[in-house]
Amino acid sequence: MKLQHGFHAMHEAWPDAQWQALFNRAWPAYQRWFLRNGIGQQPSYLQSLRQLRAYMPELLPVYERLCELAGGGDTAARFLSMYCPPPYYVSCSQAVWTKTTPFLIRNYDYHPALLEGTVIHSSWLGKPVVASGDCLWGVLDGMNSAGLVVSLAFGGRKLVGIGFGIPLILRYILETCRDVADAVAVLRHIPSHMAYNITLLDGLGESCTVLVAPDRQIQVNPLAIATNHQQSIEWTQHALATATLERESFLIHSLASAEQTAEQFIHSFLQPPLYSTQYARGFGTLYTALYRPDKGSMTLLWPHRTWQQYLAAANPAPEG
Amino acid sequence: MTTTLRNISEIRRYFHRNETPIYFISATNFNLLGINEWVRNFHYINYIDCFDGRHPAVFVPSETPHREFESIEDINNYLLQHKEVIDYIKKRGGDPKTVFLMFDEETEQLCQELGLEVWFPKAALRQRVDNKIETVRIGNRAGVPSIPNTLSEVYSYAHLCELADDAGLGRDLVLQTAYGDSGHTTFFIANEQEFNRYADQIIGEGEVKIMKRLKVRGSAIEACTTKNGTIVGPLMTELVGFKELTPYKGGWCGNEIFANAFTQAIRDQARDYTFKFGEALREEGYRGYFELDFLIDQDSGQLYLGELNPRVTGASSMTNHAAFAHADAPLFLFHLLEMSDIPFELDIAELNERWAHPDNVDSWSQLVMKHTKDSVGYITQAPESGIWHMDEQGQVTYSRFDYHRRAVETEQEAFYLRISGIGDYHYEGADLGILITRGRLMDDNFELNERARAWIKGIEQYYQAIPLETAPTQPAYNLDAGAFKIL
Repeated sequence: MKLQHGFHAMHEAWPDAQWQALFNRAWPAYQRWFLRNGIGQQPSYLQSLRQLRAYMPELLPVYERLCELAGGGDTAARFLSMYCPPPYYVSCSQAVWTKTTPFLIRNYDYHPALLEGTVIHSSWLGKPVVASGDCLWGVLDGMNSAGLVVSLAFGGRKLVGIGFGIPLILRYILETCRDVADAVAVLRHIPSHMAYNITLLDGLGESCTVLVAPDRQIQVNPLAIATNHQQSIEWTQHALATATLERESFLIHSLASAEQTAEQFIHSFLQPPLYSTQYARGFGTLYTALYRPDKGSMTLLWPHRTWQQYLAAANPAPEG
Repeated sequence: MTTTLRNISEIRRYFHRNETPIYFISATNFNLLGINEWVRNFHYINYIDCFDGRHPAVFVPSETPHREFESIEDINNYLLQHKEVIDYIKKRGGDPKTVFLMFDEETEQLCQELGLEVWFPKAALRQRVDNKIETVRIGNRAGVPSIPNTLSEVYSYAHLCELADDAGLGRDLVLQTAYGDSGHTTFFIANEQEFNRYADQIIGEGEVKIMKRLKVRGSAIEACTTKNGTIVGPLMTELVGFKELTPYKGGWCGNEIFANAFTQAIRDQARDYTFKFGEALREEGYRGYFELDFLIDQDSGQLYLGELNPRVTGASSMTNHAAFAHADAPLFLFHLLEMSDIPFELDIAELNERWAHPDNVDSWSQLVMKHTKDSVGYITQAPESGIWHMDEQGQVTYSRFDYHRRAVETEQEAFYLRISGIGDYHYEGADLGILITRGRLMDDNFELNERARAWIKGIEQYYQAIPLETAPTQPAYNLDAGAFKIL
C-alpha cells in the first residue's frame, strides 16, 4: 500500500495561495464531516470567535486570514475555529528517546481515506514551525524553531465535552511556546473537547506526556510515552482493537532495555506491534514522524521510504 | 452642542443626513419597508430574501446550519451570530444601532458583544408590559377601559364560575392567558365541557384575564410615545381569521386603513385612549413605538382596550405608508428620533390633530397569506415580489419588479411581498406572502370582498408544489425555512 502518495509539503510564511488550494481541495470532505451529525448544539460563529478570543488571542489574525482565504463563509469559519468540533478517534503511539540525543518519534494510526497528508512549514507568528497538518491548520505532530516538539494520541475515552479540537491547541502551543513548561501551562489552561495524550519534548531535553480531558484536570506524566488510554482502560473495545496496552508495554520495555539503540528503537515503529495494518478499521499506521530538535529536522518514515524536512526548508513531496 | 429640532422639516433633514448606521434585523423587512428611504444609513439584515437580491438596502447572509427556529427571536439571534452578518456590520463601521420586531435577553447580550445598541426599551420591560394582565392594569390606571373582566388564577370550572359571578360577568366568558397572540391563547368558554377542553392551558398558568363575552370587532392603532408626548396614528380595521388566508381561527391576517373606517366618535375615542395609554406607558419607563388593539362592542358601540404590542407590528407597514406619513414623516421616524436622544421640541397636539384629519388618510389594505391547507409540499414555483396586475375578468398577472408599495397606482394593481419561495416547504400555517393594494378588501359587513378573493386566488395559482416524498433531498436544516409567523 503506497500511502505516501497522498503527502505533500507546503511552505507559506503567511497563509496564501497554497493554503487556499489546500482548503479548496479538502473543504468538501471536511464540510461533510462537520455537518454529518446535524447541527444540534453546534456553536455559532460568534460563540466560536468568543472562545478563540478568550483562549488563543494570538491566533486571531491567522484565523481571520484563513477565513478570508476560505471565502468568508460562516460554516467554514465555524469549522476553522475548531471549537467543539464533532468527535474523532485516532490511534497512535509516541515516545521520546532520551538515552542519547533526545528525539520524539510517533506513529499516526488512522483510516487512510481520512488523512490530510500535509506537512505545513509556516511562520505565522514569526516563529518557524513545521508540522503534520489536520483540519487545515491544526497539528497532529510538529516542531517549532525553539526546538519544542508536540505530538498527540487519542486518550481512549468516549467522553466529548466543551472545548477545542486538540489539533488547534497543538498549533497554538507551537506558535506561542518555547519549552515544555510553557506547553504544559497552555494544556492546563485551554480546554480540550476530548481526551488526548500529548507528548512533549523541548530543546533542553525536557519531556513528558500530558493527559488532557474535558472532565478532569490535566495530569503530567514524566514518562514521555503514550498510546491510547489514560491510566486505566475505559473503552475496552477500542483498547483491544488498537492493542493500546500491548503497544505501551512494548515502548516501556524498549526504552528500558540497555541493548536497545536509537536506530533499533526508530526501526521498531515500522514493525508490529507498533506498526499497524488495520487500515480498513481505521487503525492503520499512515506515517511515522521523527523529530530531532538538535537538528531542526522532521523525518517522515515508511517501511521502504523516508522524507526529510527541515524547519528552514520544505522538501516538496516524498518520491515514489 | 446639538441643535434642537423644532419642526418636521428639521426632523426630515436630520434623518436624510444621518450618519449613524441603523439596522432592522428581522426575518424579512416587511414591517419597516421603505424606512431606508427616509433615513440615510438604514439597512435591513434579513433571513429571507423576498427580493431575490434586488433590494439595495437588504442584506441576507448565506444560509448556514442552525437549530430549528421556534420564534422570530431565534432567527434574530441566529443572524447576530452569523459570520457574514458580523463582518457586514463591522465593515460598515460607525456606532451602529439596531431595531427589531422581536428580541429577547439573548439578543441584547449578542448586541452588546457586537457593539450594537438596541434602539428599543429593554426586553424585560417589553415583556412586562406585553403581559395581557399588566396591560389591563396600565389601561385602568390611564383611564382606558377593558371589556368587563376580573383577573385571577383559575383552579377549576367551579372556581371560574365563582369568579365570574362575583365580577358580574355572567357565564358566557372569554379567557386569556398572559402571553400569546393571534388567537392561540384566547378561550371561549360557556360551559364546563368547553372549560375542560382548555383546562390544561388555563389551570396553573398564573393570573388569567376573565372577560364577559361580547360581540366585538377588532381594530388596531399604532403610536409612539416620546418625551414631547404620544404621537397617534390612524385607527385601522383588522382582518381576522378568514379561512382563505389563515388556518388559525381568530388569527390576524391583515389590515385596512381608510379615513372613515369607524365613526368619528369611535375614532376620536380611540385616539384619546391611545394618547393616554402612551403617556401611562412612558411613566412605566417605556419609550417609542407601540400598537394597541381596540375591541368595539357591536351592540353598544363601546370601545375597549384589547391588547398591547410594545413594538412595531404587522400593521406598521400600513401606518408608515399612509398619506400623512408621506406628508410629514412615518411614525417610525419619531421612534428613531426618541431613541437617538437628539433634542427636539414638537407640538404633538398639533401633529396629532393633523394626522386625524380624513384628508391625511388614504385607503390601503394588506392581506397576510398563509398556506391554509393541511398539506406539506416542496415549492417548485412561486410568484415574484413586485407589482401585480388584475384585469377586468379578475385574472392576475405579474407586471414589473418593484420594492416600493407606493408604486401601486390603482386598485387593479397590488404589491406582493413573497415570503415562501422556490425550495421552501409549504405546510399548514406557513407564510406565503403579503399582498398590499389600494382601496378596501372587506365590505361594510367586514367580510372579504370579491376583489380580495380574486387577488388571493390570483396569487395562489402561481404557487406550485410537489409532494414531500418526491422533493429533492435537502439538508435537514432547510426543513424549517419560513417556519415562523410574521406577526
